[in-house]
Amino acid sequence: MQALPKLDPQSEGFARDPHHTYTQLRNLPDPYYYEDVDSWMLTKAADVEAVALNKTMLRNVDHLLSAAERKDAQRKLNWHDMPHHERFVQTNLLESEGDTHARLRKLVFREFTAAMIARQRDTIQAFVDHLLDGLGDRDAFDFVEDFAAHVPGHIIGRVIGVPDEDCPRLRVWSEQVVRFFDVGRNDDDKQLAERATKEFYEYLLTLVAARRAAPQEDLMTRMVGHQDAGLMSEDELIATTMLILMAGHGSTIDVLGSGMHALLRFPDQHQRLRDDPKLINLAVQEMFRFESPLPYFHRFATEDTEVAGRMFKAGTRFGLLYGAANRDPARFENPDQFDVSRSPNRHIAFGGGTHFCLGNHLARLDMDVIFTTLNQRFASIELAHEPAYKPGLSVRGPIALNIAVKRH
Amino acid sequence: MTKITFIEADGTKTETIAQPGMTVMQAAVHANIAAIAAECGGACACGTCHCYVAPDWVGKIPSAQEDEADMLGFVIDPQDNSRLSCQIEVTPDMDGLVIQVPDSQT
Repeated sequence: MQALPKLDPQSEGFARDPHHTYTQLRNLPDPYYYEDVDSWMLTKAADVEAVALNKTMLRNVDHLLSAAERKDAQRKLNWHDMPHHERFVQTNLLESEGDTHARLRKLVFREFTAAMIARQRDTIQAFVDHLLDGLGDRDAFDFVEDFAAHVPGHIIGRVIGVPDEDCPRLRVWSEQVVRFFDVGRNDDDKQLAERATKEFYEYLLTLVAARRAAPQEDLMTRMVGHQDAGLMSEDELIATTMLILMAGHGSTIDVLGSGMHALLRFPDQHQRLRDDPKLINLAVQEMFRFESPLPYFHRFATEDTEVAGRMFKAGTRFGLLYGAANRDPARFENPDQFDVSRSPNRHIAFGGGTHFCLGNHLARLDMDVIFTTLNQRFASIELAHEPAYKPGLSVRGPIALNIAVKRH
Repeated sequence: MTKITFIEADGTKTETIAQPGMTVMQAAVHANIAAIAAECGGACACGTCHCYVAPDWVGKIPSAQEDEADMLGFVIDPQDNSRLSCQIEVTPDMDGLVIQVPDSQT
């Protein structure tokens, strides 16, 4: 019998090169059962996509459980004693299904269409210019912490209507809430996540009150309007706003870092983008495919279902390894080659089905402006040393990315 | 077997054969029409499989349901003949259907 590969997402080796493990898993005849999260891990693009699109496969099945079963499930995932997490994180748009999900998604979808997001281009450009000006004549810096990490939160903050000076606090809260989603779930992370959610909630309440008193041209004002029209509850408003803020931070920072790293690892591709800046849309999509910043989601089967050629019982939990699916040679020619002109590029880094990433246009526009501006400003960008990537199954991005630049 | 012709914004014509039960979006993906991005995979959740049904076909195919009509309010350059191709299921009487593909979905 073939020895099963070892999946150890917290290991240094996995952080260095998850694709080696993904390839081993993809080459198995059957999905791999990963005990730590009680899930069957799917790595082939066709299987991952089929499950993401299957309407009987749900991300959250709480509404199908009895009260006792629900408490038991919460205990297993270690958030049974986290009241704010339960109230605002476990009930948000991402965790809702069916009519509730459709109602909430419809209320915010218009804010994130390509046409609405395109209006943010000047705001993003001005902020990116401001940050790069702030670097002065430094010719070496950490691309992640000194630059990229500031952009997504600032821009999503502007969209929602968060004052600029509050954006740094939101990033800290977001990171503390999100960290609890990985497979580790230790007690320190848990306490931080619960406290951050409570503070985040209290902060958003003050913003809601401010907008109700003095409406502005921003998403928060329109959300308050939805609440006042009876289209969403206050808890739904808070949870949805929190989700948008959280989703607008970490993953875009991660893919900015891995995207920059990819351009530096494949200098011929970077040069192609410099020679033809109109390739930026395709290049950005390729960055999402090459290192998907949220490489792991899950779904539950709500009925007996065939997946990857075999039957699974209702209640089975599946791991959707988007990061692996996006390197599947059955879908992508030369999958380990970073190709800024790949088209069509039917990657699934934004997920699929009804939960398809709401903020994808905003993330892509941030990246478009950033990489286009960097290439205009800097005659050369080089890697100072090989970066270390974050450990874990649920996130993918360099912790730091030290680069050396030469200006024109 | 149902023949569908896609006409892209630059005039490129692609003929493809769709099987009943497929959607027009799936037929476009099989035919490698890159401008039908269809990013959500067919859940009426992204609006990036937007297409224009050739005017003489508009009345011959079932019209958009509520979810699709809502989503069509958000696409780039909507017209009276706009549809989401993921919501048009191919039937044998659509043989010869002509679909115009917009320049860009994003």
